[in-house]
Amino acid sequence: MTITIGLPSKGRMKDDASAIFERAGMKITSVGNDRSYRGRVEGWDDVEIAFLSASEISREIGNGTVDFGVTGEDLIREGLAEADKRVEIAARLGFGNADVIVAVPDIWLDVETMADLGDVAAEFRARHGRRLAIATKYWRLTQQHFSGSHGIQLYRIVESLGATEGAPAAGQADIIVDITTTGSTLKANHLKVLSDGVILRSEACLVRARKPEHEGNPTVGRIIEAVRSVL
Amino acid sequence: MPLTDMPDFAGIILDDFATRNAMRVDTPVILAAEPFLDMAGEDLRRRIFLTENERGESLCLRPEFTIPVCLRHIETATGTPKRYSYLGQVFRQRREGANEFYQAGIEDLGEKDAASADARIVADALGCLQNVLPGKAFAVTIGDQAVFEAVVAALGLPAGWQRRLVRAFGQTDLLEAMIARLAKAQPVAGLSPEVELLLEAGDEAGLVAHLTNEMDRTGYLTNASRSPEEIVRRLKEKRHLAGVSLDATKLDALKEFLSINVSLRYAPGVLADFAKSANLPLAKAIEGFDARVAALGKAGASLADITWRAAFGRPLDYYTGLVFEITVRGGHDVLVGGGRYDRMLTLLGAKDHIPAVGFSMWLDRIEKSLEALR
Repeated sequence: MTITIGLPSKGRMKDDASAIFERAGMKITSVGNDRSYRGRVEGWDDVEIAFLSASEISREIGNGTVDFGVTGEDLIREGLAEADKRVEIAARLGFGNADVIVAVPDIWLDVETMADLGDVAAEFRARHGRRLAIATKYWRLTQQHFSGSHGIQLYRIVESLGATEGAPAAGQADIIVDITTTGSTLKANHLKVLSDGVILRSEACLVRARKPEHEGNPTVGRIIEAVRSVL
Repeated sequence: MPLTDMPDFAGIILDDFATRNAMRVDTPVILAAEPFLDMAGEDLRRRIFLTENERGESLCLRPEFTIPVCLRHIETATGTPKRYSYLGQVFRQRREGANEFYQAGIEDLGEKDAASADARIVADALGCLQNVLPGKAFAVTIGDQAVFEAVVAALGLPAGWQRRLVRAFGQTDLLEAMIARLAKAQPVAGLSPEVELLLEAGDEAGLVAHLTNEMDRTGYLTNASRSPEEIVRRLKEKRHLAGVSLDATKLDALKEFLSINVSLRYAPGVLADFAKSANLPLAKAIEGFDARVAALGKAGASLADITWRAAFGRPLDYYTGLVFEITVRGGHDVLVGGGRYDRMLTLLGAKDHIPAVGFSMWLDRIEKSLEALR
């Protein structure tokens, strides 16, 4: 059985992932030319590499088309329902760090915690004739954090696929759920993170699809071991 | 493929409803999703079947009947009081059970006498169940948000806390966590020295001016979201609460109330005893509660089959008073769920306040019970 590893097809993520695999004794070479979307691993004949766009990797692991993938935990948890049942996070790779956070305007001096936000959300409709609006591309993570962990039901999600931090100032939404690395974009847009508003501390992970045929497959175990040994 | 035929006892339910002075209505299966998401929140989005039309409007397959029946009532400008009945398919994404199944129910809109309308709706639901599942014994659990609100108010808690507790009503874990938090003082942190000074001096106008300037400086629209006045008002309230913590006696009274779980036969006595021993002025809530118990007796419901669980409620802001569930005695499947939703019609756009109470029967679960009976 050939084991397929899905890797990001470009950018920092691709370089960082390739570097870790190389240190782990799994040097990746492209098949054909440099722009090819297939690769192989020197000395590992039963392993092949599929270069995919970062956002597709979680989907492909989720439906089992690839056996392993390197992608952000945020994309796994956002993209897959019941992620822990379908995939295993085999290793945390220490790059691509980013937090998924709840941020509100700086000027909301009275809002420090999710409980404060719950108060605001509960009264929002009576005051403004609409529900509190959250700009985000993280539908699932937002619902889990608000409804699941903090019992806040009454809000609306406004889908935002880019420049989410600008939505509150522009009046498109009241608050945001977004990803941040250094916090500088939040600061530049006069937003602050709630004290219990970190939904997920995400980083790039080696993720395995939970497939029955992995049971007893020595290559699966060797890949995980090799990657873990260099972290 | 599973069959989605109408259950063969649907006729019995419709015949039963016909005797209960309710007008049968049907609603479209494809409906605007907006009112459902607006009422029930984003959490519902995962549980309904959503689609979009060419103009980009969100549509969904009917997830339940109460909202469309109420919308229809508002649109047709029918007078009240008015009782509606329905029976039809609903569509929901569920972990267990089929995604399309039948529900039937009655909505009672505009009846001013809440106690007798409540009693009648419970008696209707029980009576109809008895026709469908003859010979079965049922267990009814009721809860009452109005009594909980009265207890919280009578404890003399600050308004901000009252609202938080009422919001968590019905969600045991959340409520317990909140009560634990109320036992400790919650300082307000992270304010700039300038704001601290203004707040200390109680300079409301100064705070509003400060925030307005900040919004101006940072390019925030002042009219799009929370206004400076709203933020300042809540900041002051929060600062006021920061030094206070709930004292142990009140905490115990609240916990004791929430642990009440008693047959309705004894419920009025238990509630009165609680009010007396906790020394709380609950006369008005008790009056409403007792009136409902009396009305239930008058409507022919067996009080021995009804249990009052003080902590039972639903965490949506349009529920206001009675909530109830009916199971087969000793069973777990909720066959009927219902309650009072006095705030819903105004939220949906009705100009007048229209009190409302209703129930919905889960025909798929009733069918399962019926099979067990055969």
